[in-house]
Amino acid sequence: MISKPLFKATIKQNIFVFTLILVVLMIYLPIIIMLYEPATKESLNDVLAVMPEGLIAAMGLNNLGSTLTDFIGNYFYGFLILLLPMIYTITVCNRSIASLVDKGSMAYLLSTPNKRTKIALTQAVFIIASITAMIAFVTIAGIAISNITFPGELDISAFLLLNTGALILFYAITGIGFFSSCLFNDAKNSLMVGAGLPVLFLVVQMISDIDEKVHFFKYFTLFTLYDPEKIIHNGIFLPQFIILFSMAFIMYGLAIYVFDKKDLPI
Amino acid sequence: MYSANLEGDFQLKSIIKISGLTKDYGNHKGIFDLTFSVDEGEVFGYLGPNGAGKTTTIRHLMGFLKPDRGYSQIFGMDTWEKRSDIMKDLGYLPGEIAFFDRMTGWEFLNFMGEMRGMTDTKLRDKLIDFFQLDTGAKIRKMSKGMKQKLGIICAFMHDPKVLILDEPTGGLDPLMQKNFAELILQEKSRGKTILMSSHSFGEIEKTCDRVGIIKNGKLIATENIHDIKEKKRKIFIVTFDNATTADNFAKSNDFEIIGVKSNTVKLNVTGNVTKFIRALNKYAVIDLDTESSSLEDIFMHYYGGIKPEGPQFTWKEDIE
Repeated sequence: MISKPLFKATIKQNIFVFTLILVVLMIYLPIIIMLYEPATKESLNDVLAVMPEGLIAAMGLNNLGSTLTDFIGNYFYGFLILLLPMIYTITVCNRSIASLVDKGSMAYLLSTPNKRTKIALTQAVFIIASITAMIAFVTIAGIAISNITFPGELDISAFLLLNTGALILFYAITGIGFFSSCLFNDAKNSLMVGAGLPVLFLVVQMISDIDEKVHFFKYFTLFTLYDPEKIIHNGIFLPQFIILFSMAFIMYGLAIYVFDKKDLPI
Repeated sequence: MYSANLEGDFQLKSIIKISGLTKDYGNHKGIFDLTFSVDEGEVFGYLGPNGAGKTTTIRHLMGFLKPDRGYSQIFGMDTWEKRSDIMKDLGYLPGEIAFFDRMTGWEFLNFMGEMRGMTDTKLRDKLIDFFQLDTGAKIRKMSKGMKQKLGIICAFMHDPKVLILDEPTGGLDPLMQKNFAELILQEKSRGKTILMSSHSFGEIEKTCDRVGIIKNGKLIATENIHDIKEKKRKIFIVTFDNATTADNFAKSNDFEIIGVKSNTVKLNVTGNVTKFIRALNKYAVIDLDTESSSLEDIFMHYYGGIKPEGPQFTWKEDIE
């Protein structure tokens, strides 16, 4: 089904950026969890009080919540969990196909007796597996750190849901990135769509959070389908998850189809 | 009936077959109605200036591009539909050198071997030796010639039946070009079918059996190399003992005289030179010189509309 040597080579190529982003996540996560100290929370609220309301809202910090799960949900899963892994996924999506076609090294891969679909599927599996691994690391670390610093305070099932949602969201985002990587022969164009669209979604989401007047902006971003607060409290997440997951499935499928059928200037 | 049978036999023999292949990029760019084939065990030189459509043709053979019209086949299989099956027995050298930069030469060859499911590495190691390639170096830091050698090794290492080589000698020094020609001849003697493109005739004249010439996306000639060599003209410059002798020689023979200047005569000899040598025998010859010429002269008329017959040089420009 997939090409083992290519999978290995792709791991080797991306292990650095994967580790880098994971390290940054692992620096942020404990800091945020430890910020939960009620006393610190007071002083954090003091700090937030002097900041412009719009900015605080844009960062997703307007409701720090009362429980540890709320706190992590708002502070970490409102923004950082979107931004940091996105840097990783944008990089690997672009590298997976478009950059190989652009540089011409795809010619070598396709001069071996491997079908284009197999090459593309291998790259897709790598993207999906690696982002799953990254979120899994964060999940395990989050639970472990919470249990050490504030034993028993984390709502583990809600926390698992938060991470599952983030992961499905990333399946959809990488679906867009991978599709644009398969569609364009030029790494520049692939990056423009594959990176531009998710970044635009993030910016639109930040704008929509600023004020009630611009709240309708939320209909123009995919990230609206991932709402930590609703996941923790209302339990309204299944339709959103299903939409995101279907979207990921379709985008990956289309990507492999397009790559198989198109002309390659290599 | 008879001719139809003959054609049928040819089809069986041809390993690479291109028929009516057309890819129109607009603006007269692309390839148009290409038809030719390469037989088993044949080395085919695909000649044309830059931008003529050589690489576009090769991309079709590799299954990278889908033709607008017509088709191309290798081993009787459609090159677009069956591309990955064809690759089992095909070696390819791309025209543009673009490897996985971070790998060393060794890592790259290993990687490509694994991608091919190659188990026998004897030929690979022999080729590394033959081209004296330092495989420990990072590809990013390799010179153009080293990268070219790496590409050649990669194309030949799995002992494929067919080789498609896009501008194979670019970047190679003269010694390595010689090695490369040796490799081609050796593979040919083992029955390999080879198609290689070039923009310079000199690069392929020693190794090719047949040459196809492409210009502006259209195939303008396919010729047997021996026929071309027959037609090849040589320019001789003969110095006689005095001007009278030179004049006599020029007037009493029917050679294609380019010019006479005092005691030297410059002339064209096509094909066999025996007649010329016999004619010279009757005169006192002080010096005999030949102007270095290549088969490219012959092909200039395909490219540029210059007729191969008649003097292309003026006396003044060429002597002194």
